[in-house]
Amino acid sequence: MKKIAIGGGQGFWGDSPDAAIHMIRNADIQYLACDYLAELTLSIMARQKIKDPSKGYAPDFVTRLLKEAGKEAKDKGIKIITNAGGMNVDGCVSAIKNWAEGESLKGYKIGYVTGDDIKDKIPELIKEGWDFPSMDTAGSTDDSGVTFDDIKDKIYNCNAYVGHVKIKEAIAEGADTVITGRAADSALFLAPLAHEFGWEENDWDNLAKGIMAGHLLECGGQGAGGNFMYDWRNVPDMEHLGFPIAELTKDSFEITKAPNCGGIISEQSVKEQFLYEVLDPANYLTPDVNVDISHARLIQNGENRVRVENIKGKERPDTIKLCVGYHKGWKTVSMLSFAWPNAYEKAKMCAEVIMNKMKEKGMKADDVHISFIGLDALHLDVADKSPETIARLNECVMRIAVFSEDKNECAKIIPEISPLQLNGPQGASFFGGRAHVQEVMALYPTVIPRDALDVRSHIVTI
Amino acid sequence: MPKIYLLDIAHGRSGDKGDTSNVCVFARKPEYYDLIIREVTPKRLKSYFGDMVKGDITRYEVESLSGINLVMHHALGGGATMSLRLDSLGKSMGSAVMRMKINVSKEELDELLSNGMELMEFEDPYAKE
Repeated sequence: MKKIAIGGGQGFWGDSPDAAIHMIRNADIQYLACDYLAELTLSIMARQKIKDPSKGYAPDFVTRLLKEAGKEAKDKGIKIITNAGGMNVDGCVSAIKNWAEGESLKGYKIGYVTGDDIKDKIPELIKEGWDFPSMDTAGSTDDSGVTFDDIKDKIYNCNAYVGHVKIKEAIAEGADTVITGRAADSALFLAPLAHEFGWEENDWDNLAKGIMAGHLLECGGQGAGGNFMYDWRNVPDMEHLGFPIAELTKDSFEITKAPNCGGIISEQSVKEQFLYEVLDPANYLTPDVNVDISHARLIQNGENRVRVENIKGKERPDTIKLCVGYHKGWKTVSMLSFAWPNAYEKAKMCAEVIMNKMKEKGMKADDVHISFIGLDALHLDVADKSPETIARLNECVMRIAVFSEDKNECAKIIPEISPLQLNGPQGASFFGGRAHVQEVMALYPTVIPRDALDVRSHIVTI
Repeated sequence: MPKIYLLDIAHGRSGDKGDTSNVCVFARKPEYYDLIIREVTPKRLKSYFGDMVKGDITRYEVESLSGINLVMHHALGGGATMSLRLDSLGKSMGSAVMRMKINVSKEELDELLSNGMELMEFEDPYAKE
């Protein structure tokens, strides 16, 4: 029976390529898909592209993955699908072209998908009467009070989450690698499976299965024992953590990993990824299908092998989610550390002194967040702040984060931190150099009608 | 009434979508699922988190996985892009949920312990609050 294996090679832009390289060399896979885009990544890429038009994609895909193992992948017939194109699919394609020519890979086919970037179409869509409602694909209205009108002049990027269809088309045309911009993460995985098994665009149950293969793989190591709560101490050989592999036949779906690598594929490790960021398990919305995993089953089926069963699909939504990133303001984070005795008390007094000073100096912050690393910076209100715990603290780091729409207001606090080493509570230690003002970008949740998009696939042959 | 950490009987993971925190919680053994359903209610969570989670909390049950999915709105101080929190993505919201103490009867606790449940170090669930 036909069996297709696909590996998840990357969890985000900046992730290690080691597991993907190991998979190319050691695993029996036909496809490798690499997800580089988190929610905010495109806004960061858009900003890079404004400064330098040759940037705006994930160059690591070429410099760290293809250069290292792209030729081996080609020799073994492993096809690679990735959204590394980000905001600059053309730039990514030309970097791959240069690499393939340098390796003398005559006949190498680069497929790519365009049409997700609709920033230039916004005025036209507004004219046609589309008002970019503040809502998510599930139709729940966002209650932040921000309207599209408020942000439309501050937009960095406006990209649609495109589905698997055009990626599948590029694979069918024989592409060795397919590059996309903002394709839905799981569409990168669904596309080769739909191509191999001939799933139609309305074969909801099968499409849902392909999406879940993608969902379990798109976060890389997190699907194979990374960030694993259940039994984190006993994840084997974490320094060589393998990334997950999905193996499918017409009627089976299993998760496993490459031979000779670390990590774990167990009922619990797969579970933790299974519902990760899914929201309503009966209605996990993607551009390709509305997935229902509310009655799914996971069954251990041998060492590092879990069988996935009972995934259902329903008709896909009419609208497509948009990723709209816009300029919101500025922020800066300052820290000072203190040691026993009374580490927290000192840190707290120090924060008060600084904030009183800033008040006198008239800093107009729109938001200030003060927390204490070592005590409550992560668990905030639910951290243990009992007198015993506070009294026993060995050390504590004061952290003040300031947000302002005005960059200069935000910057006012920066020179006021280090002087507290000599002018504040005993033992303040300044580290990491002076803080910087960072731009804050925000995401506006909205949708557009499916037919407003013009998604296309293309092929370049070396 | 004895109290244990939810972590003693459950595991899970947290993720984010904008300002929404999504924490999945699974029973460490299928027989603990009913206890999780009884104790980990949106109402309890809402009062546990207080001002840290400003919006509604929805609980979805997935019995076939002995798990629940918690969707907590306005839970990340504005979300990845805007949050001033150290943990803007809510990576530690999962352990924050697991830190919640749940009530068990003395009989339930005895049974959990004889069933091999491991407690956090230095904790005495039989101790009176």
